[in-house]
Amino acid sequence: MWLWCLALGAALCLDAAAAGPREGRPETLSSAAKGVYAAARPRLLQIRTLLGSTERQSSIGSGFLVSANGFAITNYHVVSQYVLEPNTYRLEYTAPDGKRGSLRLIAFDIANDLAIVQLDKAGQPFFEFEKRALSDRMSRGERLYSMGNPLDVGFTIIEGTYNGRVERSYNDRIHFSGALNPGMSGGPAVSSDNRVVGVNVAKRIGGEMMSFLVPARFAAQLLSRKHAPVALSPEAIRAEIGRQLTDWQAGLYKALGEQVLPARAFGPYQGPDSPAAWFSCWARTNAEQIPRPRAVLQSTNCNTETSLFVAGDLSTGQLRVAHSYAKSVDLNDFQFATFLSGQFQPTWFGWNRKRHTRTRCHEAFVGAQVKDAPPLRAVWCARAYRDFEGLYDVSVLAVTQDRASEALVSRLSMHGVSYDNALQLGKRFLAEIRFAQ
Amino acid sequence: MPSSAALWIEIVSRHGHLLQRHRFERDEVRIGRGYDNDLILDDPFVAPRHVRIVRGADNALLAEEVESANGLYEGDGKQRVARIALNDHNSIRIGRTYLRVRDAAHAVAPERLVKARIWAWPLMVGLAIAMVGVQLASTWLHQTTEPRMADYASAALTACLAVAVWIAMWTILSRIFSGRARFQRHLIIAVSGFLVLLVFYELAEVGAFALSQRGLTAYRYVGLWLVVGFFTLLHLRAISASHSRFKAGAVTAITVAAIGMQTVAGLQARATTDLQSYVRRLKPPEFRLAGPQSEERFFAAAQGLKKTLDRWRTEQPGEIGDYAVDDDD
Repeated sequence: MWLWCLALGAALCLDAAAAGPREGRPETLSSAAKGVYAAARPRLLQIRTLLGSTERQSSIGSGFLVSANGFAITNYHVVSQYVLEPNTYRLEYTAPDGKRGSLRLIAFDIANDLAIVQLDKAGQPFFEFEKRALSDRMSRGERLYSMGNPLDVGFTIIEGTYNGRVERSYNDRIHFSGALNPGMSGGPAVSSDNRVVGVNVAKRIGGEMMSFLVPARFAAQLLSRKHAPVALSPEAIRAEIGRQLTDWQAGLYKALGEQVLPARAFGPYQGPDSPAAWFSCWARTNAEQIPRPRAVLQSTNCNTETSLFVAGDLSTGQLRVAHSYAKSVDLNDFQFATFLSGQFQPTWFGWNRKRHTRTRCHEAFVGAQVKDAPPLRAVWCARAYRDFEGLYDVSVLAVTQDRASEALVSRLSMHGVSYDNALQLGKRFLAEIRFAQ
Repeated sequence: MPSSAALWIEIVSRHGHLLQRHRFERDEVRIGRGYDNDLILDDPFVAPRHVRIVRGADNALLAEEVESANGLYEGDGKQRVARIALNDHNSIRIGRTYLRVRDAAHAVAPERLVKARIWAWPLMVGLAIAMVGVQLASTWLHQTTEPRMADYASAALTACLAVAVWIAMWTILSRIFSGRARFQRHLIIAVSGFLVLLVFYELAEVGAFALSQRGLTAYRYVGLWLVVGFFTLLHLRAISASHSRFKAGAVTAITVAAIGMQTVAGLQARATTDLQSYVRRLKPPEFRLAGPQSEERFFAAAQGLKKTLDRWRTEQPGEIGDYAVDDDD
C-alpha cells in the first residue's frame, strides 16, 4: 500500500522529535555540498504557521527565495492552515541568520502543492531555476542537493540522486533518492550549480530514502502568472480552491474519457479494468488461507496515486477501481449471500462532518438490457463537499445477480469529482460489467 | 333467622385481597387496639376503642365509630363518617386497616366446573423447539467461516437463558400481584414472543433486499418494539384481567417512548457518523421481487440525488435539516 506523507510540516510529525538544535554538527558532507550550502544559505527560509492567539508555531516547513521583490516558493500544505483559516493563523519566516519577519500569501496551486509567499523586505539574493529541469532534460543519477529545516533542528543540506519522473502518478513528481524529513517541505532541491530542479514535497512512509519533488517547471509557471494581490476573505479562498480542484478533475476525467476501459475476466464475468498507466494495481486472494475458505475470493484493486492535499483533514482526487470475484466452495446460497455482503461496500476514504455532507444513496436492481450482461444490484452513493461547490465524492457499487453461488462485486470510487464526470464514468463502468466472451 | 347468627370480619388488603378472617357469634363486635376489644388490631393508627359492629333491629349490620382521632371511612373514601351501613360489597377503613363484614347469609358465586386440564406441555415444547430452531437456523444461514459447535451452542443457550429470565420475571410478578405464578401461560407467551421477534428480524432483512426497500431494515426497530409491547401486554393480562385499559395505555406509552428514543438516537448518530444508507445485507438472487430498473432510470435517479446534496451543502453540519429522514426513491 502506498502512503504519502504530505503533512511534512504538520505539528503531529514534530511532536516525536522535540529535541532542540544540536551544536557542533560533524563535517561529514562532501566539499561540493559545503559549497552549495554556503551559496544557498541566504536564499533559504523556514516558514512557520503560528496560532495567532498564542504566537506558538502550529506547523513548520521550508521555502526559498525566487525573485528580487521577495517572492518565495513553498508547498501549499506548509501554508494550508493559514490559507483556509486566515483569521486564526498567521505566517512567519525565519532566515538561517536568525532574522524573522512576516509573510504575505501571493498565490497557490493545489494540484502541484505549491504556494508563493512574499517577504516583508526585498533585495535578497534568490535562486534561479535549472533550465534542463524546466525542459525535462535531466538525467537519472544526477546529484541533487535538497535543503530545508527538518524537524526544526536547524537548516540542513542533503545529498541525493535524481531518479526521473514517478511512473504511475497522474500528477508529475520527481523521484528523489534522499532522506527528506518532516519540516523540509517547500525547500529547494538544486543541482550542483545551485539551480532549482524541484521542490521538496513528500516521502514514502515505509520506504527508505524514497522522496518526491514537485518539478521546478510548475513553480516557474506559477511564478510567471500575473499576480493580483490575493483577497484573503475565506469565501474567496475557498472559491479559488474549488475552481482549481474543478479544473484539475476536469483534466483527469477528460484523460480517462479518451481511454477505453480494458476488460478483465473474473470467472464467467468480465469487468472494466484500470485504463491508464497511472493506476497502481494490486491483487489478492484468500485461496491459500488455512482454514480453507468456504468461498474463494479474488480481488483486484487499482488506485490512482493522485491524492491532493487540501487541508490536514481533507485530501481529495483519489480514484479507485476494485473488483472482487467470489465463488462458493461449500457455502449454501444464503451463506454465500452473507459472505458477499462483506464485499458489497463502497471503498472510499474517511468522512468528516465539517468537510462533507452526509452520503445519499440510490439503489436498485438493474436489468440486463443486453444479452451478454448479467442483471445487477447497483448502488450509487454520493456526498458533496461543503466548502467547494460542484465537487462530490461518488461511489458506484454493483454485484451480479445471475447466480447464487458465484458473483462479481465491482466498485468504483471517485473523490472530488464533478457530478457529470461521475455520471459519465459511472455509466461506462456499469455497462462494462458483462459475461466473459 | 336467629338474631345471634354468625358474623365474619375479614381484614383485607387495600386491593381487597383477604389477609385474615375472624368468626364472631354475637351481635356486637368491638374493634380497636386495646385488649378490651373482641378484635384487636395492631395498627398504630387505630384508636384503643375505635369502632363497633352492631346488628340493627332489621338484622342489618352497621359500623359505628366509638372514640377515635382518625375516624371511620368507607373504603377508600375521603369523607369521615360516624356510621356506615354494611353490605356485601363495601369495606370500612380505620387507621390504615381495611375491614369487610359478612354474615352467614352472604351469597357466594356458583361452583365452577372443573374443566379437563388442557395438556399444554406439547405446545410449550413445540414452541421452545421452534424458537431454538429458528435461532440455530439464523446462525447457520449467516455462518461463512468454519462451522463451530460453540457458535450454535452459545446462540441457543443465550436465547434460552434470555427467555428463562424473562419468564421468571413475569411468574414472580404474577405470584406477587395475583397470587398465582401462571408459569405455563407466561412461558407460552414469552416463547411465542421471542419466536415472532426472531422471524420478524430475519424477514425484514430478506424483504428489504427482495423489495429493494431499505426502510424495512432501517425502521425494523419500530416493528420490534411493537412486538415487544404486544407480548408485554399479553403477560400483563395473564397476571390478571383487571385494569386492562390502564395496562394497554401504559404499554402503549412505554412502547412509543422507546421508539421515540431510538429514533432520536438514530437521528443524532446521523449527524456524527456517515451512515451510507443502502441495503447492505445481500440475499440469494432468487429472492429478488422488485423489478429491475433500466440503466437510464438508475442514472436518472442518481442524477436526482444531486439536488438534495446541493441543498445539504448549504446547511450547517448538524442542523435540523441535516437530520431529515431520507425519502426513499
